[in-house]
Amino acid sequence: MTRAVMDPTIAPPFPVAALTVLRDTQLRKNVAHATDVIQAKRALLVAEKKDWQQLRTAAAAIRAHALANLGSYLEEFEKRCTEAGGVVHWAADAAEARAIILKLLREENATEVIKIKTMTSAEIQLNPALEAAGISVFETDLAELILQLGGDEPSHIVAPALHVNRGQVREIFARRMGLQNLSDDPQVLTAAARTYLRQKFLSVPTAISGANFLVAETGSVAVVESEGNGRMCLTLPRTMITLAGIEKVLPKFKDLEILLQVLARSATGERMNPYTSLWTGVTPGDGPQRFHVVLLDNGRSQILARPKERQTLQCIRCAACLNTCPVYRQTGGHAYGSVYGGPIGAILTPQLMQMEHAQTLPFASSLCGACYAVCPVKINIPEVLIALRAQVVDQERGQPARWFDPMFLGMKAANVIFASARQFRAAQWASRVGLSLFTGKDGWIHRLPGLGARWTVTRDLRGIPEQSFRQWWAARDKEQM
Amino acid sequence: MTTSSSSRRTILDRIGAATALPAAKNSYDELPRDYAKFGELDSDACIHLMTERLREYGADVAQSTPELLATVIAEQVQQSGRQRFVVPPEIPAEWMPAGFEWKVDHELRATDIEKCDGVITGAFAGIADSGTIVLHHSNTEGRRIITLLPDWHLCILNASQLVETLPEYFQRCTQPPLLATYISGPSATADIEMTRIQGVHGPRFLSLILVRDDR
Repeated sequence: MTRAVMDPTIAPPFPVAALTVLRDTQLRKNVAHATDVIQAKRALLVAEKKDWQQLRTAAAAIRAHALANLGSYLEEFEKRCTEAGGVVHWAADAAEARAIILKLLREENATEVIKIKTMTSAEIQLNPALEAAGISVFETDLAELILQLGGDEPSHIVAPALHVNRGQVREIFARRMGLQNLSDDPQVLTAAARTYLRQKFLSVPTAISGANFLVAETGSVAVVESEGNGRMCLTLPRTMITLAGIEKVLPKFKDLEILLQVLARSATGERMNPYTSLWTGVTPGDGPQRFHVVLLDNGRSQILARPKERQTLQCIRCAACLNTCPVYRQTGGHAYGSVYGGPIGAILTPQLMQMEHAQTLPFASSLCGACYAVCPVKINIPEVLIALRAQVVDQERGQPARWFDPMFLGMKAANVIFASARQFRAAQWASRVGLSLFTGKDGWIHRLPGLGARWTVTRDLRGIPEQSFRQWWAARDKEQM
Repeated sequence: MTTSSSSRRTILDRIGAATALPAAKNSYDELPRDYAKFGELDSDACIHLMTERLREYGADVAQSTPELLATVIAEQVQQSGRQRFVVPPEIPAEWMPAGFEWKVDHELRATDIEKCDGVITGAFAGIADSGTIVLHHSNTEGRRIITLLPDWHLCILNASQLVETLPEYFQRCTQPPLLATYISGPSATADIEMTRIQGVHGPRFLSLILVRDDR
């Protein structure tokens, strides 16, 4: 398996990357199975929740409110967190966030660091930077461990290794942990991970986490997880560094009563995930005695400035939109060339790239709206996709390269043809004559040359009838007279 | 904060410019909150629900009267086959039956806690709807580490501490907690083919004793 490129600045365009994964039948089977399972569990739990729509409305409103007042809530968070003994850092972009974290680790003389799964750290490509600086990184989430040991990349926001099956996990663990007689029973594989990481938890003094929520009112940070690896990292080390996007803030502690109800149900199809941790700065005698929060902008404030696109930042990273998306379910996450795949990735990634990269992603959708229907914070993803498509088209306007784009030329030609009835009739005649060469005896076109093959490679096309509607209508009038 | 203080200004300025439109502002108090705030179940049904949920997660649930609690704890400790236990500094002495090794957590080191086979604590609240045990890490609930390293967590919850829904728990928090852990079943993962596996890094075994102080 070749390693997927997850850096949007160098990743191939979506249609190209998708072709590769579409040929990987094992991967498609794994993705389909995993997303089917989560969707079925989610559907049951949503159905039993009588106030689900009210919760969605409240969740969307609180997130939108937090974003509309983001500056003051971030300052409040900073104030409270600092009062509680935390240190707040601000990073304008990925490079600055990496530099801050590296500096903090150097101050700790850290040679090793344990990590809780954080997609934000993958966004800023933190691990390669730390490894390059001589710091060994240990991912502690089971899925992240599978990927790290297997030299693979995340393909899903919540279950990053969902494209890997038990046999593949067995092979990776056997090879990297030196366990030749490992079986492929998930219970056994999980136990192997427990043993492998236990000593790391007890000995590595520095940890890095993401954040699910920041609470402005109290300066608290919340992390939602299942395995207890998060609790280990939040409790045992001497120093804790939390990397959080600036959009993660909530006004008050009480707002968690909404978001915790929708998050686990949407993400893993559970009423509540096994462990949720909330902490505030430093607690004497309990947990890390040095605590840093790095608040990351990295393009987010620009998303905030655009009225339609702003809702992208409401996202709480549940991945329900990935699981339901007919495109993601076929391609998996690697085709998106970004740690954020699926519908939310299709809108988030190009915007984080300030529309300079990943411009094919807004087109990686049929606009069916399934993502919007399941989103617990009601992000109208199709609306944002269309807005971003408009931005991409605007970028292309006036570029000379367009005159070599068959789609553009075709549209130009159509513009002329549709302008007069005479030209339209002439074009109809020409296409009837032209296509008759390719029309089979059954009246269908099975194969076209050149660009037309893009259509006929997967579908047949009905041949053009002998008579157009207008001709038939005119003939009918004559008969009646 | 020397390096990032200029970035602080930059980011806050960008945010300020991006959110300058007054149309986008709305008052926190006017936000819609029309979801269910209260449960509908009586005390018995609530306890039944909590029990059912936790058993679904693979946890063990027992009931006791306040009078019999010490006996029930002793039975469970005996049956667990474990010997060495850690406890928070302020749990009642009768929760620690004789014949076992009891380590009271006065800043015990991680390596000592790691050697314990189990932990017994109280709780701040329970939430029946999601089968959740809430710890605020007071002196009866203990530091976070003691409910993390031992392989078995025995938690004692009074029926009067049990609520049906998550919002009801938040109503009971007169002050937001500075530390909190919400535990819904033993440590688990579904990262391999979405198969739920119990017991990854946290305690692999979770038991709850519900004390019927409501009758």
